[in-house]
Amino acid sequence: MSAIAHGDGQRHGDHPPAAHASSRVPPVLVGMYLFIASEAMLFGSFFAAYFFARVSVGAETWPPEPFELPVFLALLNTIILVTSSFTIHWALQSIKRDDRAGLIAGLGLTFLLGLAFLLIQAREYTRLGFSPRDLGFGSTFYGLTGLHGLHVFVGLTLLAIAFVRAVRGHYSARNHQGVELPGIYWHFVDVMWIVVYTTVYVI
Amino acid sequence: MAVEALKHGHGTAQRPAAPRGLRRLTRGGWLRALWTTPLGFGLATALVCGIRWAAGWEPIWELQVLLTAWTIITPLAFLAGMGAFDYWAYWVSGRRTRPEDHSGHGADSWRDYLRVNTDHKVIGVQYVVTTFGFFLIAGLLALFVRAELAQPGSQFVDTQGYNGLVSAHAALMIFLFIVPVFAGFGNYVIPLMIGAPDMAFPRLNALSFWLLPIAGGTMLAGFLLPGGQFAAGWTNYPPLAEVNPVGNLMFQMGVQFAGASSILTALNFLVTIITMRAPGMTFWRMPLLVWANFTTSLLVVLATPFIAGSQFMLLLDRVLHTNFFVPDAAGYAIGYQHIFWFYSHPAVYIMILPGFGIISEVISTFARKPIFGYRLMALSLVAILILGFAVWAHHMFVAGMAPWLRIPMMVTTLLIAVPTGIKVFSWLATLWEGKLNLKTPMLWALGFILMFVIGGLSGVYLGSVTIDQHASDTYFVVAHIHYVLFGGSVFTIFAGAYYWFPKMTGRMYDERLGYVHFWLTVIGFNLTFFVQHYVGLQGMPRRVADYDPSFASWNMLSTIGAFTLGAGTLVFVYNLLVSWLRGSPAPANPWRARTLEWLVSSPPPKFNFEEIPTVVGGPYGYGVPGARHAVFNGDRAGTAEPEEVGAR
Amino acid sequence: MRRNTITRLVGLCAVLGGIAFVVAYFIPWMPETGSREGGRIDDLYWLASIISLAIFVIVTAALLYAIVRFRARPGDEEDGKPIHGHTRLEMVWTAIPAALVTAIAVSSAVVLVKNEDLESGHRVVEVRAAQFAWSFTYPDLGITTGELRLPVGEQVELELESDDVIHSFWVPEWRVKQDVVPGTLQRLIVTPTKTGSFALICTELCGLGHAVMRAHAIVMAPEEYDAWAAETAAR
Repeated sequence: MSAIAHGDGQRHGDHPPAAHASSRVPPVLVGMYLFIASEAMLFGSFFAAYFFARVSVGAETWPPEPFELPVFLALLNTIILVTSSFTIHWALQSIKRDDRAGLIAGLGLTFLLGLAFLLIQAREYTRLGFSPRDLGFGSTFYGLTGLHGLHVFVGLTLLAIAFVRAVRGHYSARNHQGVELPGIYWHFVDVMWIVVYTTVYVI
Repeated sequence: MAVEALKHGHGTAQRPAAPRGLRRLTRGGWLRALWTTPLGFGLATALVCGIRWAAGWEPIWELQVLLTAWTIITPLAFLAGMGAFDYWAYWVSGRRTRPEDHSGHGADSWRDYLRVNTDHKVIGVQYVVTTFGFFLIAGLLALFVRAELAQPGSQFVDTQGYNGLVSAHAALMIFLFIVPVFAGFGNYVIPLMIGAPDMAFPRLNALSFWLLPIAGGTMLAGFLLPGGQFAAGWTNYPPLAEVNPVGNLMFQMGVQFAGASSILTALNFLVTIITMRAPGMTFWRMPLLVWANFTTSLLVVLATPFIAGSQFMLLLDRVLHTNFFVPDAAGYAIGYQHIFWFYSHPAVYIMILPGFGIISEVISTFARKPIFGYRLMALSLVAILILGFAVWAHHMFVAGMAPWLRIPMMVTTLLIAVPTGIKVFSWLATLWEGKLNLKTPMLWALGFILMFVIGGLSGVYLGSVTIDQHASDTYFVVAHIHYVLFGGSVFTIFAGAYYWFPKMTGRMYDERLGYVHFWLTVIGFNLTFFVQHYVGLQGMPRRVADYDPSFASWNMLSTIGAFTLGAGTLVFVYNLLVSWLRGSPAPANPWRARTLEWLVSSPPPKFNFEEIPTVVGGPYGYGVPGARHAVFNGDRAGTAEPEEVGAR
Repeated sequence: MRRNTITRLVGLCAVLGGIAFVVAYFIPWMPETGSREGGRIDDLYWLASIISLAIFVIVTAALLYAIVRFRARPGDEEDGKPIHGHTRLEMVWTAIPAALVTAIAVSSAVVLVKNEDLESGHRVVEVRAAQFAWSFTYPDLGITTGELRLPVGEQVELELESDDVIHSFWVPEWRVKQDVVPGTLQRLIVTPTKTGSFALICTELCGLGHAVMRAHAIVMAPEEYDAWAAETAAR
């Protein structure tokens, strides 16, 4: 019935009656979507700070002289992350067909792509030529990309756990919520990057 | 009736035998927390000093950085010690998930209230008791403030100490009393009201609660730091917040924990309400308290990240010397205010909407009448939810923000009076031609209406940009906020506390002491705050340790009122404590109320319901012949399918 | 509703309205008005007060009447009338408050626009706020003082800047207030109409000296002001 219903129908005094499932969507999925909405708002606060620094303070050029942003390196990163959204989708589709090899390959690939993204980002940081202490510009730039990087890290952790469990054979066509949830989160991280990239690097 | 049969459950759960000897130190609980907490503290210290030493940063012992690490790592170590993460650690380790054995569920003795418990009823009680504890502490701080202000000049604290008292009073009242106490009532009542055996995520629920004492402890610890408590107000505006002594960090970190707790609980409420309603419990059959918590939770989930963001950025500005809000380095100080109020204005509704829900339950029950205009009542909550996101800048009419923003924000602000008015008028109409039982909860509800109307009307003054130019940042604002937060929210909290006390404890409170508490509070409250409208308009700014001697007698009156209020609160505490221990046993439904929580015993059985009830009508079918809200399948056969009632 | 219910309610409203009127009218809630802008704000204040008191009186009357009239007698365990709503009534109490707040919003907006209408050739004074003192620079005189002096009846634009944290400029008699934010230039327009010395108060928490961060705003007759300006500039 629902994921909360752990009881077997009989009561021994220490098992609850099964909850009535009043929504077709499982509770964990609803929870995940709400959590993502909340996360998006956290990004919203950093975007707000970014636009305050950029618009309200009234810098003449953006990025302010003499700073420059590596737009093409970041584009490469964007491509990597978008690709990883497809690989995680592939992983989920595979386990829905009970294809464990596909699941493991998909998860592994996604993890590697995500890791590549983080490493490239870290390398970019060391070569930017400005630090978070350089004006409101530097702070908001590192604030947004850093917050996103942190989310990539959390996503990678979830993927790693799912990967280990996939290898151990915990998932099947009927039971794959443990892949679906990190997958949704990963898509969110990906979409968020596109927004961050467009805002910070492109416009 | 199925009530009798439901009484088993309490105390029959088989729990694994308690471990002995050294194994007690490795099982989740206080004994394990006793060593993990210092371990976390040491780890944080070593980490910071180690990194600073390796990088060659001087000084190695830098208090501000250490405090940041301590306030992040020590609480996590404490929670790990208490066992809040045990199951997730098990899951992260990549082992197979195991079915819930409910071993962490329910309470057989008072000790079960002091551990990580997954029972929403236990968590509800934990929440309410803890938050009332913070209420008393913050109230005490308020009495210090009023004592200092009893006369012009300096009484017993210096000005920085005074600023610390004011800031801590506000921060504790808001983040550790009013916001979470509603989460406490919601926790206890919502699953019962919608016919669910528990919340959707019990372990997350337990974690949400345990984050609270941490948040409160962090904020209170600020008093012990060199330079004193955070003293930039609960709004913590930079640049002042960034030049304040290190105590300011304790506000920033405390807010993070309180905010995380409140987001997780709200998420839990939403998922529970969406996915776990009993069969037949459509949205239009939900009690208004559930509606209220549903809209509030949406606000929390969407708005709270903004205050988290604002405090993260402040923290980075302080510790990493970034320039988010530093005007000298092309940061934008007013930007903080926008981000802060984008949460903190919705927070005002987070602090009153659940109260509206409580009042609706209480008024309907004690007036013995259906809620007047049920659907419009629910829709006005939704209207407040939506408008609530479009009014934040009315706190900033004189703050120097973009001038064009003022008039749109004024319009949306004043429009909020419309759905709020609908609620007040509907409550009055609910009273009309009812049979008013003036029990203590009802007294609070009636008092609430009057006080809240005063607060709402002074809000209309402040909502007008031009009147606000005169009245903002004065005692008029102090009076306004206390009329809506004390006369509004706290009155509803008292109403709720008396209303559900029999359900939560299984005992009746003392009605006479309830009256005494009510009248002392009403008199003390109005004495304290009504005169503040006057001194504010006359020219007394807020947050001042000293003031013009011409305001002396008014402030003395205010102080006398505050101490009357304090005396009333002592009566409340005495009443509930003694009644909890020795009160007469409460029947399942002392108020003859109709929502689902009154269908089960007081206190309810461990898993709430023997079987999930089926909802067959609206929750407020008072006076409707044959109306029923819910039936159990067992006695359904005997009842002809009742007509739908309640929702018009 | 029966007729005598309405009569009683109206009577109750009249009594409460009388009390509210006395409290609102005979207690001087606002300090004396010292600027043209303040006069407009006072008008608005009275508009809001009339509306608020009317609503307050109606709500209180209804509440008191309900408590007295509909109170359950001891032992009465019956339910009230199962009235679920009344669409027309609900529309009325949605529409009327909406109209009232619209009236307040529109008149506030009108006052705001009028108050911020700058005449050409107005006087400018630069106001600096720093923890915990005010200073005033008169560009036309080339001097800086510790108290604000202005001629009566002449519109002035105050340019406010802060050296450190956020402060706020307020003279209660003038009714207008403006935060002084570091890194930005804020403006405040005021036309003093009353001579005398008024308290200038910082109203934004600015640190440990916040309560004592005060100065005098002295409004003088034009000829006195000119004499003062000539004397001070010469010094």
